Amino acid sequence: MPERLNQPPYPTVLKPYGQSLVELARERADVVCFTGDLTRQCEVDLFAAAFPERFIHAGMAEANMMGLAAALARDGFIPFVHTFGVFATRRPLDQIVNAIAFPNLKVRILGFMPGVSSPGGPSHQAVDDVALMRAVPNLTVLDVADAVEARQVPAAIVDVDGPVYVRLKRGEIPVIFGGDHRLRLDRATPVTPEGGDVALFASGMMLAPALAAAEVLGAAGLPVSVVNVPVIKPLDVATVTSAAARARAVVTAENHLVTGGLGSAVAEAIAEAGLGRRLRRVGLRDTFAEGARTGPYLFAKYGLSTQAVVDAAWSALGRAGRPPAARPAQADDGEYAPV
Amino acid sequence: MLSVNHEEALRFRGTRARLTGLSPGQAAPLLREMAQQVRRDDLRMIHRARLGHVGGDFSVIDILVTLYAAVLNVDPAEPLAAQRDRLVLSKGHTAGALYVTLAHSGFFPRRELDTFAAPLSPLNGHPNRTKVPGVETNTGPLGHGFPVAVGIALSARLQRVPRRTFVVLGDGELQEGSNWEAAMTAAHYGLSSLCAVVDRNRLQQGAGTEETKRLEPLADKWASFGWEVREVDGHDHARLLEVFRRPGAGRPVCVIAHTVKGKGVSFMEGRVEWHHKVPSDEQVELALRELSR
Repeated sequence: MPERLNQPPYPTVLKPYGQSLVELARERADVVCFTGDLTRQCEVDLFAAAFPERFIHAGMAEANMMGLAAALARDGFIPFVHTFGVFATRRPLDQIVNAIAFPNLKVRILGFMPGVSSPGGPSHQAVDDVALMRAVPNLTVLDVADAVEARQVPAAIVDVDGPVYVRLKRGEIPVIFGGDHRLRLDRATPVTPEGGDVALFASGMMLAPALAAAEVLGAAGLPVSVVNVPVIKPLDVATVTSAAARARAVVTAENHLVTGGLGSAVAEAIAEAGLGRRLRRVGLRDTFAEGARTGPYLFAKYGLSTQAVVDAAWSALGRAGRPPAARPAQADDGEYAPV
Repeated sequence: MLSVNHEEALRFRGTRARLTGLSPGQAAPLLREMAQQVRRDDLRMIHRARLGHVGGDFSVIDILVTLYAAVLNVDPAEPLAAQRDRLVLSKGHTAGALYVTLAHSGFFPRRELDTFAAPLSPLNGHPNRTKVPGVETNTGPLGHGFPVAVGIALSARLQRVPRRTFVVLGDGELQEGSNWEAAMTAAHYGLSSLCAVVDRNRLQQGAGTEETKRLEPLADKWASFGWEVREVDGHDHARLLEVFRRPGAGRPVCVIAHTVKGKGVSFMEGRVEWHHKVPSDEQVELALRELSR
């Protein structure tokens, strides 16, 4: 059943995750909050104000923060650990593996500012975080698409029996889904009518350009079925393979390197199912993303635009001629539109 | 998961009760005898498995035996009791020393030591808390145990439980930066229930610590991080007991235990190659003789 969706430019909200983490902590005394000195940026200034006694400054010491969180999880607390995605995964990888994932502890790691949405250049871009976390046994890996999903993250992950990594956009968060949308950890969800020529799997910030691309392609006579994949591990293989089986070609779109993330996961699933569909993966291709401090510029430059998704679908089907041109919506202040 | 040896656990309770009533000086001869027994069993275990870290085991055994037998509030019959004191062996490669100490304390039957490092044995080369009762944290990669121990102490404070937390660190291990993150954190939160014990044997895997990456002035480093530093001879059970029994006041405590790698066996003492060398049959005979004096 297709979902009720807003149209771009999307309205945005601030701190949907931070607010609902506070709501969860009101009901759950076992929730504790860590920050690696990125408190406001990770929306947990709200938690610090509401529950100072359960708010722990780990300082800029990510390896240590993971060790602390592991210890608290062992005592029955449920630590939610916050920093930018790039620092949450690369630096303390060894601690996540050995102190958290190996003993399968309920630590929730929230990595903000995914992919090229960072203004900080390659050192601050989490473009490999999904690949790193996907390689760790016991870990669940999420990349959520909008504020409706972000708001549901705390309650959805609090009781997962093992560690969880979630990527979350920083700043103004678009509202793409209608209020009745449910974030489910066991399901990828078709968000446009099924049965299109192309099955387009998108996660996180790439849902918006995927939807825009589906509009453009649909208008050009090429029906596309968009599937939102918020949980990259464990992948909902049944939904992915059934959507791929009904299409003639498959496209994935992720704000991440095409190595090791959503595109790889989908490729593995359809290859193992023996489906033999032509695949195009939209994402960064074996490169550091340099050149600007604005997200939209980088999304366009590194092939994460609506046009890039349109071109990928066109090429996957082997269509002749020029692909239709995408005309991205214009966003005013407080609105969000993909490039 | 291994399970308790009830007979040994009862004996352990008796020993603990007896040692608790003794002064450090009175307890020392008993602790020394226990430590020598642990060394002998550890040596046999390593010889049988053809694998182990005998040098570091022998430098840390007096520390571990003193803690388990006379300091830690632990009960092998209830290894997960909520109020128990915690010991994290951050230098996880000396799992052998920990396993033998735990077995002698009744956490599991001593005969299990025969399976050390065998396929499917719970007694792996590095300790696993899901398989070995008494092990609090999986360690092995250096620099991991200390941050977790700080978290354990922080958690005790959040829960307002009075337990103490000990973490045993190798000295070479202190070259890992995560330890200094942990040291800073514990001092920041004033975790006086936490005691870090540095097994200062001055050797690491390939060479001396001071040639590899200088640690001195080590006591000054800890003090400048905000810790109360107590330096002792790490093989003097009376002194160890004395410093371990006295809790910290407002600050975490660092015990720098000056030790000898390979302690107790003349041809191993202070020799870098015994980091993880396996003794021959003849060497075992010689060593057992020295460890029986």
